[in-house]
Amino acid sequence: MTSVCLYFEVHQPVRLNRFSVFNIGKKSDAFSTYFNHELNRWIFEKVARKCYLPTNNLLLDLINEHQGKFRVSFSITGTFVEYCQRYIPELLDSFKKLFATGAVDLIDETYFHSLSGLYDDLDEFEEQVKMHRQMIKKIFNYKPKVFRNTETIYDNRIAKKAADMGYKGILTEGTEKVLGWRSPNYLYKPVNSDIKVLLRNYTLSDDVGFRFSAREWPGFPLTADKYAKWMSGCDGDLINLFIDYETFGEHQWIETGIFDFLKHLPGEVLKHNHLDFVTVSEAVNRYNVVGEIDVPWAISWADADRDVSTWLGNNMQMACFNELKDIGKKLKQIDDKDLLYVWRLLQTSDHLYYISTKGAEDGDVHAYFSPYDAPYEGFINYMNILQDLKQKANQ
Amino acid sequence: MKVAMIGWEYPPFKAGGLGTHCYGLTRSLADKGVAVDFYMPKTKHNTRSDKNNLVIKEVGETEIFPYDRPDDKALGGKFFEAVYRYNDLIVQRVRGKYNLIHCHDWLTMKAAVALKEKMGVPLVVTIHSTEYDRSGWLYPNQWFIDIEKEGMQKADRIIAVSEFTKRVIVEKYGINPDKVAVVHNAVYPIGEGEKQKVVLFLGRLTIQKGPEFFLRAAKKVLEYEKDCRFVVAGMGDMLPRLINQAVDMGIAQNVIFTGLLTEEEVKHIYRIANIYVMPSVSEPFGITALEAMSAGAPTIVSKTAGVSEALYNSLRVDFWDTDEMANKIISLLRYDPLRRTLVERGKRELELFTWDLVADRTIDVYKGVL
Repeated sequence: MTSVCLYFEVHQPVRLNRFSVFNIGKKSDAFSTYFNHELNRWIFEKVARKCYLPTNNLLLDLINEHQGKFRVSFSITGTFVEYCQRYIPELLDSFKKLFATGAVDLIDETYFHSLSGLYDDLDEFEEQVKMHRQMIKKIFNYKPKVFRNTETIYDNRIAKKAADMGYKGILTEGTEKVLGWRSPNYLYKPVNSDIKVLLRNYTLSDDVGFRFSAREWPGFPLTADKYAKWMSGCDGDLINLFIDYETFGEHQWIETGIFDFLKHLPGEVLKHNHLDFVTVSEAVNRYNVVGEIDVPWAISWADADRDVSTWLGNNMQMACFNELKDIGKKLKQIDDKDLLYVWRLLQTSDHLYYISTKGAEDGDVHAYFSPYDAPYEGFINYMNILQDLKQKANQ
Repeated sequence: MKVAMIGWEYPPFKAGGLGTHCYGLTRSLADKGVAVDFYMPKTKHNTRSDKNNLVIKEVGETEIFPYDRPDDKALGGKFFEAVYRYNDLIVQRVRGKYNLIHCHDWLTMKAAVALKEKMGVPLVVTIHSTEYDRSGWLYPNQWFIDIEKEGMQKADRIIAVSEFTKRVIVEKYGINPDKVAVVHNAVYPIGEGEKQKVVLFLGRLTIQKGPEFFLRAAKKVLEYEKDCRFVVAGMGDMLPRLINQAVDMGIAQNVIFTGLLTEEEVKHIYRIANIYVMPSVSEPFGITALEAMSAGAPTIVSKTAGVSEALYNSLRVDFWDTDEMANKIISLLRYDPLRRTLVERGKRELELFTWDLVADRTIDVYKGVL
């Protein structure tokens, strides 16, 4: 038996306002001046219409149709949940309905989808994971057993922390950098702790996430039966398909046929007797680890590099990252709740992602997601805000 | 292949991108085995070439200048007459066997068209700027437009220095887009010097180049960065007005007007400049942005400038948005990582802007008409 483990990242960042050097030091409310609430609402409602709501509905139908044999997992960030609460409460209801089927599992992560896992000590990281845990408990009355860090950023230290916090499993990228000749289609354990690591099968995941509508790709057009056949030919216990939820209807538009693909996927997979679906918790319960992985330097699922250079790849990103960390120390001393919240919203990894100067194909992907014309614009804006927050923290 | 190239100015004595372009292009063409006779007006400096394939031929003296306006008082009503006279002179002087004629901008277009008809060879025209650019899109003069239009129509192929300029050629002059190739300009790198807290404007002081926006941004920057100096390098009809503007705004002590600079002085000012700003109202390309980058100065360029369509590693602004221009100048002064990243990546990007490549693309155009 080989199990298909389908997991979706569900996240929206709180994008920034235009903030020039002339705004620095003005006595104004941080939350309302730092963030572009109008733009954020507009984007959130647009993506909800194109992706979240229709995909949730489709998944609910599919779970019912296949009487629970079709199973999926989600990680839903804190910023996303706040968007739902503020603008579209029925979207949150629809996630609750999905969860109530029993065929849906939830995954914990840092509430703010942050890079706090890369800070010098992991206090802030732990705090944000706990915030996420509380949020899931409150809304879904559930305690997740599996952890996934922001964009699957992972190293030995993060794995150990997740194990210490009681998680049974952790997700990351199935990159050769870590695996060498070994297959991602098994569970592994970190060298330094006791937790099961689920590794993303990036070829099959990116076939859907990135290549689905690429006409020059030999696999085009990708149909559910073709894709199920590919999976039926795979060796191993577990095929981890970790995909950005916005793949459905947003990155791949409805016209590409992505919803038809998803609609037929469960049926086509279940036609193969040796394939079934599992949630992340079930995968961790059912299968044993086959070996160890040693990851001293952080990896992730981002870009071709599969490391953290997406967020910390140039001097500008490092400068912002360091500034952000320093401001946090100060804010924790003065214990200003409102400013701490704003500081955490600024930790969302997307703000640094927009400042990436990567070229070629990764650069195009960055440009697609960025609200800025260029990484330099992103830097100026973000850094100006950080300077203002620093002044507020020191007052 | 032998080309009769009809130009206007040639370094070290030049006033604009046209001269820089002709210099880089002809030298690289010569290196690639294309023989070029470069025809230009006789000047008091003796212009020479050190390459076998490239011969500079001085045609005769003229008192006109590619950036002159017919309402220029010094020339008075003689302007049109002087242009016609010089063009007639070229038609008489260009002799020999050529495979094609290559002409740059409006000044010699009449002669180029006449030569094409007389010699029965193809004509390639490079457009470095149009009348719309030079007038800053305010009251363009129909007399220039008619000359440009005739030249573009009669040309077998047109080279535009940017997509921006190609659009003007297609939309304003009604030229078939298939006839227009875009070849971006290039730069001979200058090299970095000891940087000072200097923000630089360099260009003709005309409406087209937007120097008054530079001063307005300077005023805002100086409210926050009091020890910053602003250098306005170049000459032009706006100079008296700009000096008054600086005095009226109370920033005269931080603004330096250099007047006309020699080539060596230009290089020096690039080398010490911390930031280069090009707030052009209309800029077909803007080679100076590449020159500044090659001297280690991060650039802030007008969004509509041709160079900004080809360049990743520069900051872009709307020329009228002096708040944003000031925001970016101050950010560059304060945030060293921003500056460093722009300079480092900019220098690497400049490796793509070589005259060698410009010559290759120009040869492709030549081959297309032969």
